[in-house]
Amino acid sequence: MNDFLELLVGATASGCVYALVALSYLLITRPTGVINFAVGEWSMLAAFGGFVLLSRLSLPYPVGMVLVLGGMFLIGWATERLTVRPLLEKGAPALAPILALLGMLVVFREVVSLGFGPDPQPVPPSFGFGRLELGLIAGSYQSFFIIAVTLSVFALTWYFFERTLAGKSFEAVAIDRRAAALMGINLRRVTSLAFAGSAVVAGLAGVLVSPNVSAHYLMGLPLAIQGFTALVIGGVGRVEGALLGGLILAFAEQFTVRYAPVPPGLAMGVPLVLLIVFLLLKPTGLLRAREARP
Amino acid sequence: MKKFFLHKALTVMAGAMVLLSSAAFAQNTIKIGMITDKVGPAKGYAEPVAQGAVYAVKELNAKGGLLGRQIELLVEDDQGKPDVSATAARKLVDSGVAFILSVSLTPATQQAQSVTRESKTPHMTPSNSGDTLTTQVDNANFWQTGPLGSTQISTLLSYARNKNYKRVALVTDNSDLGQLTNRFFKAELEKNNIQIVSEEVVPRGSTTADPQMQKVRAANPDAMFMTGVLTPENALILRSYRQLGLKAPILGNYNMSIPVYSSIAKGLLDGVVFVDAFDPAKAETKRFVESYKKDTGTEPYNLNGYGYDGIMLVADAIKRAGSTDKDKIREAMQSTKAYKGVMGSVNAAYGFTDGKRTGFDTNGMVVRVYEGDAQGKVVHVGNK
Amino acid sequence: MRQWIVLAIAALVLSAIGFALGAYQTDVYRKLLLWITLALGYNFLFGISGQVAFSHFTFYGIGAYAIVILLFQVGLPLPLAVLVGIALCVVLALIVAIPATRLEGFYLALATLAFAQLFIVVLNEGGAVTGAAGGLANYRLPDVFGMRVTGPWYTVVIVLLLLSTWTILWRLDRSYFGRACRAVRDDPEAARAMGVNVAHTKIIAYTVTSALAGMAGMVYAFVDNTVNPLIFGLENVFLLLFMVIVGGSGRHAGAVVGAVLLYLLPLVLSPLIGHHHALVFGVFMVVVVLFQPKGLIGLWDMLRKRGGRA
Repeated sequence: MNDFLELLVGATASGCVYALVALSYLLITRPTGVINFAVGEWSMLAAFGGFVLLSRLSLPYPVGMVLVLGGMFLIGWATERLTVRPLLEKGAPALAPILALLGMLVVFREVVSLGFGPDPQPVPPSFGFGRLELGLIAGSYQSFFIIAVTLSVFALTWYFFERTLAGKSFEAVAIDRRAAALMGINLRRVTSLAFAGSAVVAGLAGVLVSPNVSAHYLMGLPLAIQGFTALVIGGVGRVEGALLGGLILAFAEQFTVRYAPVPPGLAMGVPLVLLIVFLLLKPTGLLRAREARP
Repeated sequence: MKKFFLHKALTVMAGAMVLLSSAAFAQNTIKIGMITDKVGPAKGYAEPVAQGAVYAVKELNAKGGLLGRQIELLVEDDQGKPDVSATAARKLVDSGVAFILSVSLTPATQQAQSVTRESKTPHMTPSNSGDTLTTQVDNANFWQTGPLGSTQISTLLSYARNKNYKRVALVTDNSDLGQLTNRFFKAELEKNNIQIVSEEVVPRGSTTADPQMQKVRAANPDAMFMTGVLTPENALILRSYRQLGLKAPILGNYNMSIPVYSSIAKGLLDGVVFVDAFDPAKAETKRFVESYKKDTGTEPYNLNGYGYDGIMLVADAIKRAGSTDKDKIREAMQSTKAYKGVMGSVNAAYGFTDGKRTGFDTNGMVVRVYEGDAQGKVVHVGNK
Repeated sequence: MRQWIVLAIAALVLSAIGFALGAYQTDVYRKLLLWITLALGYNFLFGISGQVAFSHFTFYGIGAYAIVILLFQVGLPLPLAVLVGIALCVVLALIVAIPATRLEGFYLALATLAFAQLFIVVLNEGGAVTGAAGGLANYRLPDVFGMRVTGPWYTVVIVLLLLSTWTILWRLDRSYFGRACRAVRDDPEAARAMGVNVAHTKIIAYTVTSALAGMAGMVYAFVDNTVNPLIFGLENVFLLLFMVIVGGSGRHAGAVVGAVLLYLLPLVLSPLIGHHHALVFGVFMVVVVLFQPKGLIGLWDMLRKRGGRA
């Protein structure tokens, strides 16, 4: 039983990382329909940013974090401006931005590999590597930090979409681009913000997960796949879906490894099988989008 | 229809012209080929080995070269892809190399063997440790002087002999070399009647190793052997180990000897036992460290030493063969014995005895322990 | 009739080149021909049928492993092994296609991506059957009618594979089926309204191209006489996608141009920019998608048109 509770915190933390990546996809997909497979590479860029600012330059954690996230905001904005906006405005087929972003995935990865080399680099955690015990629940400081940050981000995002006007305009664009434009919503601004926000969230995931995993140039693709799986499970329709999907995926992964009598190599297939099952049986995910309110 | 073929013919002819123009111009040098990984997953391990080899060639050429001729090192990048490795091998063979060194991934070296076997070109890996390289393909032209997985485990076990481990855990990753090393570790452990109570895999891309380490903890082993070769995943394992409060001694394969761990696994390494092939106290090693540092400005480490020894062994064989004739080189290489290189313990020497093609002295590895985050001194030598 | 003559001449010319090349060049040439074969098939699936699938290389791998396992572990004679191998690819392709083609756009991509990764997991866990992480090696193409097919004669086999793949796909493209595929790609609803069975069209397209990839895999198994999980990983499928897009998706000639360019480019660029050709490809991809979505072949067309007008 102890193991179970202990695993609970770790699995929740992993689930939160996946949830952030899933949110990152969602922030772009909902208003624009574009699926940005390069979110994993964004996480990687932020992780290296964390390495440079926090490890090499030893800036205090909050300062470094703010700088990295600020940098990610600019990168997201620039990515949209350079590679996606020209396509959206030209009326290119829906596939085109997705392909352009796939190309950017490779570009990001190679640039980092060129700049930093192939060795993994250390990124410090927020509060050190200690361990916290709250009654029966135990976990590392970093795990609790990840959970706290993720819940805050999701709460903020939910509030943004549900209660603010700007957020509602995002929703409007998601439902019908043309109608939203006719209503005077600035499509360009919404799209830029969507990409910028997505990059910040993805970057957050990268900085949070890299103290454990280290920053290395190959870390993007597995995160991208895990994040997308979480998104499919939870459903693209609602922000909470990303969180739910991430948690389900992480729990399935880790509890299968811990408790299932399956050879360890095959346990790796669990997230893949989950993804395939969900895609085939319930592609819209577990949480359906809320119906338009009258 | 015709237009299509015109396109195709033009592009293929252009391609052929590119190929033909890449033929090397003749020089009176001895050509040695090297296949490394400059961009792929093995880059972190292949490039330092390659650097050691480049330095060795530089040193040899400064002393007059080989058989009175300068050595020309032709380097090919296989990007860590086994099929590209085979192509690279063919290119080197066509360029007239006397010997090929493979320092990339184990399966890449394996695939390159299909070429060297067919063309009877002498071929060696000075760094790969996969035990099956000399057994899976019957290639009399291929030698391996990297530290075999079986040697690693027997050295570790000899160190642990008086600790009387009866029940142990094995933790690895899902890379090809990790799995291979794991297999040989397991075989040797079972041969010594040691029970394996837990065998876990931490796959590439994991965010945590907690579930696996919980299982290890639940099995309560006397010791834990790490046989993986993926650096981030190994760091995860070490971190989980500490977080979950495990106490069983850790014994690692030679991957744990790579210096990158000191930076990404800070605070996690104290007391970790690992097997290495580098003894800083050895005379040849000291000399190598000094001259390398003087020449390049950086201090070399074990991976550079493999490449250096590789070239030196090849040069020694060619010298004994007296020519660049492939058959003569093969005979000379096969008859290498008692060659003292930079790698290995103080008394270790390379040699291919009894027709075997693995040359690393089975008694030549050392066991060291991490003291804090630094690689500590040698605590045990050999596998007797 | 004329078509057969042109094909025969092409076969002779391409094979003759094989006889003229040295060992290294033959290797590059053979692998180039195989990549062109794969690109043609992928172009049909992605460019003409509009299915974003990442499983093409997986079927290449399934074909390669199948033929080796059938020949050397099950012990079938060569002709039977080839037939069973093809049948296996068709069956697996159907099993994947029937549920997968219901998915739209990028969801299909993800499902096939997961399938591709699952294949690697199975290979790694396959123990003695698949050779696990190390793969299978140390085998040789069995004699055909008592003759050893090796060297430039094997290149002839690859040439025949390429030409038959090309013929099949070209024929399909020109037929009603090809038009149906394009209709489904452009607007499934309209296609359905015109009486096209959308689901069947997609399934057939997927199955045929995957089976062709499997056949190419069977031929590949004897090029280096080694198969291992690393060869069939994800990197190559991205490269295939890049080839088709940079060359010009939807056009057979585009697939050829893309394959030749992206395969030979690293070999040429290496001495110049070192080895960061992946960066160059990523940039190519972005540039092509942004500025010349018709690919290089579209550029060629534009240049010809402009030249003709003067």
